[in-house]
Amino acid sequence: MAEILHVGIDLGTSRSAISASNGERFVVDSFVGWPLDMVAKKVLKRDVLIGHEAVSNRTMLDLHRPLERGLLKEGSEKDVEAVRELLKHLLRLVGVNGKIDASNVRAVVGVPAAALRTNKQYLRNSMKGIVDSLLIVSEPFAVAYGLDALLHTMIIDIGAGTTDFCVMKGRYPTEEDQRTLTIAGDSIDTQLLKLIEERYPQANVTVYMVREWKEKHSFVGESPAPVIVTAPVKGVPTELDITNEMRTACETVLAPITETMIDLLARVEPEFQERVRTNIILSGGGGLIRGLSDGLENALKGVGGGKVRYMEDPVFIGSDGGLALAIDAPEGDWEKLTA
Amino acid sequence: MRAARIERVKRRVLQEAVAENLDVIRGVPPRALRPAYRLARIWLRRAPYLLVPLVIVAWLGRNAETPAILPVQAAIASPLFRATAPEKVPPSLERVTSAAFPLAVRRVVLDAGHGGSDPGATAASVTEKAITLDIGHRLRVLLEREGFEVLTTRADDRTIALRDRARMANDSNSDIFVSIHVNAIVKHTASRGIETYYLGPTNDPSLTQLAAAENSVSGYSLGDMRKLLDGVYADARRDESHQLATIVQRELYTSLRASDTGLENWGVKRAPFIVLVATDMPAVLAEVGCLSNEKEAAMLRSPEYRQKIAGALFDGIRAYASANDGPKTKGSPNHG
Repeated sequence: MAEILHVGIDLGTSRSAISASNGERFVVDSFVGWPLDMVAKKVLKRDVLIGHEAVSNRTMLDLHRPLERGLLKEGSEKDVEAVRELLKHLLRLVGVNGKIDASNVRAVVGVPAAALRTNKQYLRNSMKGIVDSLLIVSEPFAVAYGLDALLHTMIIDIGAGTTDFCVMKGRYPTEEDQRTLTIAGDSIDTQLLKLIEERYPQANVTVYMVREWKEKHSFVGESPAPVIVTAPVKGVPTELDITNEMRTACETVLAPITETMIDLLARVEPEFQERVRTNIILSGGGGLIRGLSDGLENALKGVGGGKVRYMEDPVFIGSDGGLALAIDAPEGDWEKLTA
Repeated sequence: MRAARIERVKRRVLQEAVAENLDVIRGVPPRALRPAYRLARIWLRRAPYLLVPLVIVAWLGRNAETPAILPVQAAIASPLFRATAPEKVPPSLERVTSAAFPLAVRRVVLDAGHGGSDPGATAASVTEKAITLDIGHRLRVLLEREGFEVLTTRADDRTIALRDRARMANDSNSDIFVSIHVNAIVKHTASRGIETYYLGPTNDPSLTQLAAAENSVSGYSLGDMRKLLDGVYADARRDESHQLATIVQRELYTSLRASDTGLENWGVKRAPFIVLVATDMPAVLAEVGCLSNEKEAAMLRSPEYRQKIAGALFDGIRAYASANDGPKTKGSPNHG
C-alpha cells in the first residue's frame, strides 16, 4: 500500500504554512507572480514565482496575493490559479509529486472562522487534483485542536487579513462561538504607512517596507525601545523615528479586539465565563505585537480579570493543529472527503 | 481521566467537523439554518407562551361543569374540526397569498447600516455608517410623531453583527424591518441612483458580490441562503417585502429626483442580504444614495438632503402601512 501523507495547511493572507506527517514543515509568503513579459521570463527563468522570491522580483511580475481577508477571492481566475500554484508549491516542499503522489495526500486546511460555505466549496473545487481528500476547518479551531484546548478556551488568531475569535466549548464551534474581524495585520500596515507618509512626506516608503518594520518592532503601550528605520528621502537613505506612528497604528487593533473578546465572553454560560477568561490564547503573527496580551488583560480587569497567553511558534501553530486533525481523522471519513 | 476526556472531546469535535464538511459537499445548509431546526427552535422558544394559557384554561376547565376547551384528541375528532380542516395538509412550502393576512403595521425596526469598526462605504470625510445613523435618527422622529413604535438596531456608532440586528428585530416582534444603506460603485463613479432590495435570489453577479460582501461577517453563505430560500421564497413575507420595497423605492426616487435630476432609478431588486434572510417580518434594504459619486457625496453631507431622504422613507413606510392596515389603522396621515 502506498504511503499516505497527512498535511495541515494554514492558508493565510500574508503567509501560508504547511506541516506534514513526514516531519517536514515550511512557511511561504502568500504571493504568486507571473513574469510580465518575455524579457522578464528570460531574466527570471521561471514561469511562476512564489513567496519571498515573488515579492523580491515584483517589478517584473504580475504579482497576486490571492487570499484577501484569508479567503479565496471568487470571480478572479488569476487568483484561483495563484492559490492552486501556492498550494502545489507548499505540497512540493513537503515532497508531494516527488516521492509522494498527490493521490496519497490527505489535507486539512484552516480558513477564517467566518468563511462562507460557498467560499469553502470554492476552495474545495480549486484543490481538485492537488490532494486526494480535503477537510476544511476554521483556523482558530485547528489551533485549539492542536493545543488540546477544546474546552473553556478562547482562541484569538490575529493574522494579516483577519482576526479570528473562537470560544471552544467542547464541541465543533458554531457560528455563535466564532467571530471574524477584518481588522488585523494588514490594517495596521495601512495605518502605519499613512502615518509615516503624513510625518515624513518626502520619504519614499512602500507597504512592503512598512510590513517588515511592523514585524520587527510592533508594540502597544510603553515603547520597549525607539523605533528607528531607514528609508530613502529624496533618494538619500535616511533614519526615521517612527516610534509614535508604530504605537498608534498597532493600537488601532486593540479596541476592536477587546470589544469582540468581551462580547464573546459575555455570551459564554455564566458559570464558565471565569474559566474562559483565564484561558485566552493569542495566536497568529499579530500575537507577536509586544504588550498586546498585557493590553487585553488590562481590559479584562473591568470584567473580573483574566489571563491572556501567547503561544510560542505562532507560524506553525495552525498548520500543526491541522496536521493533528488530519492524523486523527478516521480512514472511513477521509474516503468521504474526496477533493 | 483528563486525557481520556480530552480524547473523547477530540473524537466528537472531529466527527462534527467532518459532518460539517460533508454538508458543504452535499450543499446541505448548516443545521441551524435548516427549516425544521429553525421551526423547532421557534416553537421551543414560544412554547411557554402557549403552554401557560393552555394550562390555565385547562385548569379552569377542569373545575367547570362544561369544559372550557376540548381536549386535543376530542377536538380533532369533533365535527367542527372535521368541517374546517382540509382533507390534506398542504405542503409546508406551498405559496400563501399575502392578502389573506391584512396585518396592521405598528412597530417598525430601523437598521442603520454598518457602524463602529465597520464604516461601510467612505468618500472623503464621509462614512456610510454616519449617514445611515443620521437618516435613521431623522426617520425615527418622523415615524414616532406619526404614532409608530420604532426600534433601532443601533442608536450610536457601534459595531453590531448582522445576526444581532436580525435577532433584535425578531425578538421585538416588529411588523416591518427597514435597513438603510448607502451605495458606492467604485468602478462607475459617474453613476448615482437609488435602489431597494427585498429578499430573493439573484443571477446578477454584481449583486451576488454585493450580498457576499455585506454578508461576509455573518458566517452564513450564499450557498446556505439558496437552500434556505427555497423555503422562504414560498411564504407570504416575500410578497409583503416586495410590496414594501416597491413603495419605498417609488417614494425615494420621486422625492429625491426633485433635488437631483441626474439621479437614476435602479429599481427594486432581489438579493440575499443576511438582514433580509434572518428577519421574520417583511424586510427591505434601501440604498438611499451613492457615495462614490462626487455630487451625491456632497449632497449626502447636507442635513437638508438627509432629512429629505428620511422623509421619503417615512412616506414609503406610511403608504405601505396604510395599504396593509386592518381595522386598527394608524392616526393622521400627515407628517411634519
